[in-house]
Amino acid sequence: MKPTPPKNALKFLRWFCREEYLEEIEGDLVELYEDDYKKSPTRANWKFARNVIKFFRPVFIRSLKKSYHSNHQAIFRHNFLLTYRTFRRYKTSFLVNLIGLSTGMACTLFIYLWVNDELNVDKFYQKDRQLFQVMEHHERSYGIWTSPTTSGLIATTLASEMPEVVYAAATGGPAENISLSAGENYIRANGHYVGKDFFNVFSYHFIHGDKSRMLLDKNAIVISEALAVKLFNTTENLLGQVIEFEREKQFFISGIYKTLPSNASDRFDFALSYELYEEMYPSVLKWGNTGNRVYLILKAGTNTEEFNRKIADYVKVKTNNRITFRKPFIKRYSEKYLYGKYKDGVQAGGRIEYVRLFSIIAIFILVIACINFMNLSTAKASRRIKEVGIKKAVGAGRKSLVFQYLNESLAMAFLSLILAITLVFLLLPQFNEITGKHLLLNFDYSLVVSLLGITLITGLISGSYPALYLSGFKPAPTLKGKINNTIGGLWVREGLVIFQFAISVILILSVLVIYKQIEFIQTKNLGFNRDNIISFKREGKLLESTSLETFLSEVRRQPGVISASSIRHNLAGHTWGVGGFNWEGRDPEDQTEFEVIAVNYDMIETLGIEMLSGRGFAREFGDDWKNLIFNEAAIDLMGLKDPVGKSVDWGFDDRKIIGVAKNFHFESLHENIKPVVIALWQGRTDRLMVRIKAGRELETVKDLQEFYQAFNPGFSFDYKFLDQDYQVQYVAEQRIATLSRYFAGLAILISCLGLSGLTIFDTQRRIKEIGIRKILGLSTFGIVRHLSGDFTKMVLIAIVIALPLSYFVASNWLESFAYRIDLKWWFFAGAGSFALLIAWFTTGIHTVKVARANPAQCLKHE
Amino acid sequence: MVQHSLGEFEELVLLMVAALHDKAYGVLILEKLEEKLGKKINISAIHVALKRMENKGFVKSSYGGITNERGGRRKKFYVVTALGKRMLDDQYALRNSIYRLIPKISFG
Repeated sequence: MKPTPPKNALKFLRWFCREEYLEEIEGDLVELYEDDYKKSPTRANWKFARNVIKFFRPVFIRSLKKSYHSNHQAIFRHNFLLTYRTFRRYKTSFLVNLIGLSTGMACTLFIYLWVNDELNVDKFYQKDRQLFQVMEHHERSYGIWTSPTTSGLIATTLASEMPEVVYAAATGGPAENISLSAGENYIRANGHYVGKDFFNVFSYHFIHGDKSRMLLDKNAIVISEALAVKLFNTTENLLGQVIEFEREKQFFISGIYKTLPSNASDRFDFALSYELYEEMYPSVLKWGNTGNRVYLILKAGTNTEEFNRKIADYVKVKTNNRITFRKPFIKRYSEKYLYGKYKDGVQAGGRIEYVRLFSIIAIFILVIACINFMNLSTAKASRRIKEVGIKKAVGAGRKSLVFQYLNESLAMAFLSLILAITLVFLLLPQFNEITGKHLLLNFDYSLVVSLLGITLITGLISGSYPALYLSGFKPAPTLKGKINNTIGGLWVREGLVIFQFAISVILILSVLVIYKQIEFIQTKNLGFNRDNIISFKREGKLLESTSLETFLSEVRRQPGVISASSIRHNLAGHTWGVGGFNWEGRDPEDQTEFEVIAVNYDMIETLGIEMLSGRGFAREFGDDWKNLIFNEAAIDLMGLKDPVGKSVDWGFDDRKIIGVAKNFHFESLHENIKPVVIALWQGRTDRLMVRIKAGRELETVKDLQEFYQAFNPGFSFDYKFLDQDYQVQYVAEQRIATLSRYFAGLAILISCLGLSGLTIFDTQRRIKEIGIRKILGLSTFGIVRHLSGDFTKMVLIAIVIALPLSYFVASNWLESFAYRIDLKWWFFAGAGSFALLIAWFTTGIHTVKVARANPAQCLKHE
Repeated sequence: MVQHSLGEFEELVLLMVAALHDKAYGVLILEKLEEKLGKKINISAIHVALKRMENKGFVKSSYGGITNERGGRRKKFYVVTALGKRMLDDQYALRNSIYRLIPKISFG
């Protein structure tokens, strides 16, 4: 048997070597090999390989240009050439496709970036899989309410009693808007009081300081890198330096951590010891207190359901059956961000709904763009039918035709991808502003894979139908000029246009509904007047009761100030809830918490809360902490008749109801109005509110600022309008509103592009028909109507399909609001006619042009 | 017409092609040259020289018949063209004429 030279070397030689030299070189090498083989087979092998490599030089390497390596390659090149020619030949549809697909892909890419960011929020902690938060279900008279906070005590007891718990840490606070100072510099910052295992639970990266001994001292403070830079302009040599807290207490820096990435849901500037918190607020040492967040690291592989069963009765057991309505449970910390909403004790969506919603929108927009491609390609079919016929006649199989058309759509998709990436790159800053994110176009592995994935899918979806449709023609009839299956093609094309417009109508209606609901939020009478009220923190000298009163009475005397008082609440969300009320006829099982609003004299008047009966707090009556005001919801809950003057038991003290306030919205309009108790409790008020005369805001605020700085030196006058707090509650909705406007606009734009492409094609095809009709006496308007009749029909069908769907979508969204607009019939009529008008306008531009042309021109054209 | 030059190694290969007359092909040229020079030459060097000279028109090539050797691959035989022969003659004459100028004294 003849020895055979190494296969791989031979393969390599055949791959690179010029065809005309190959036989000679190969032959010579083999001959040498055979000679060598007789001496030593191994050395012969090596020598053969070495020789092959020595031939790898320009003289022998085949040129890249002329490499008709195989038939496949030749066809590939041929297809590309055809694709290029098709693009050049049908410029309109090329542009329509390019614009449509690239904007569609840009949208998808934006949404991909956003969704990806949302899905990764809080996932960066090292022990993400073991990191849990303790939450609680509270049984209330109106159902189960789920609280993210629990008793701080549970952290220590769980850690010592449950073997599954590796670390547990409670956090208190938050300490918001605290003024921190170092020497001359001071800034306002937000922080937490954290338990000593906090940094074992959450993997912070410390630049300076020993992680394990971070907050062992009550006088220690841990600060973020960003805060250090702001306060000291450096992060070096700061350990042991002193930071002044509210110009009152001193803390020394025991650690500096790297500021968390932007996809952390909880980013704070500094942390203090939880033990200090317990010292400051001893009530947190009681089981009755539920104001703290508790985080756990569980052993890997712990069954959460089992653990939840174990701790379900934990509070009840710990309090000897005194507190029975609270059911603690744990939730993966990183899941809380997306799945944060509970309804009646069951997980019910959260931000994940928006993630899903936008993912669906992204897919739809891409599909709409793909449909344009499909429609235009199949519409062009009649022109390319001869091409298909001839190709088939000379022996092209269906497969190679399919391949050719897919090639065309893939090339289109890749061109669009380049344009889309450019678009995204240019518009990313604006997108970040709208979404409040810090998204970057990082070409890492996952992004590149998804980009290629999106492009391939786009290319395949948009190319598949035309490819199958066009390649399916029978050669003989097509060459004779007969197209027998256009009916089917037309039907699909119409279906696709209907689909596009149905989506557009749904989006139009959604935009309208969101806009109306937001308008409703802005103009809704909240039961108090949030205009022209500024609020600022009670701090420094104002913490003293007498100087607060002096300050307030001075402020009231300022021109431009209508009234001023202090309060503990921002009227934009739940602040402070308590239980423990007892009244005549109370159901002993009822454990409803009341929202507490601690106020000073004049607060009710400053806010403009109306009284239903009784009166507000007044100095003349010598009201004190024993007098309470409830809102209607609270009175309804208690079921009291003629409540004014009745007494209520709170904390084993007898209190008197002196008035009933009309219901007002202290939480967002997502929530029903809950029971509220307003107590005269100046000592607990933590912010001041001042109502300013309308139109005099600027100068009054300036005067107040001067006065404040003189009165309370060392503290800055950081005020906010009450309306700002109110708006913060609807940031998500505002974002959705803006985004949905853009996306709906784009979807409509892309649909219209497709429609206009189809119209152009259709009118060109029917140009002779138009000429003849015109000669026979049809008016310009008649022709326009005739031409747009088909499209009108399609859009009408789309509207009919879309309206019930959009009703469903809109009412679903509105359901998250306890107070919402009604869906009126004219919303639907408006959205429908808007879509119809746009469709008419798009087709009209072309049809009018054609209809006005000289019929002789149309007919002469050959 | 451009006056083509002939490198030293090319000249050796060309001489060998001429010497082997119509039996010259890659491996044979290699073996004979190695024998004459007494050192190893790589086959690719021979091929490079042959291709260059073929481009310059000093040699021409043709395939032989299929045999059982070399895994059935044909040999490519090279013969010297008239131009190649003239080139060799010129070179030879040139060298000889200069050689003759060497004075007949002994080179100790």
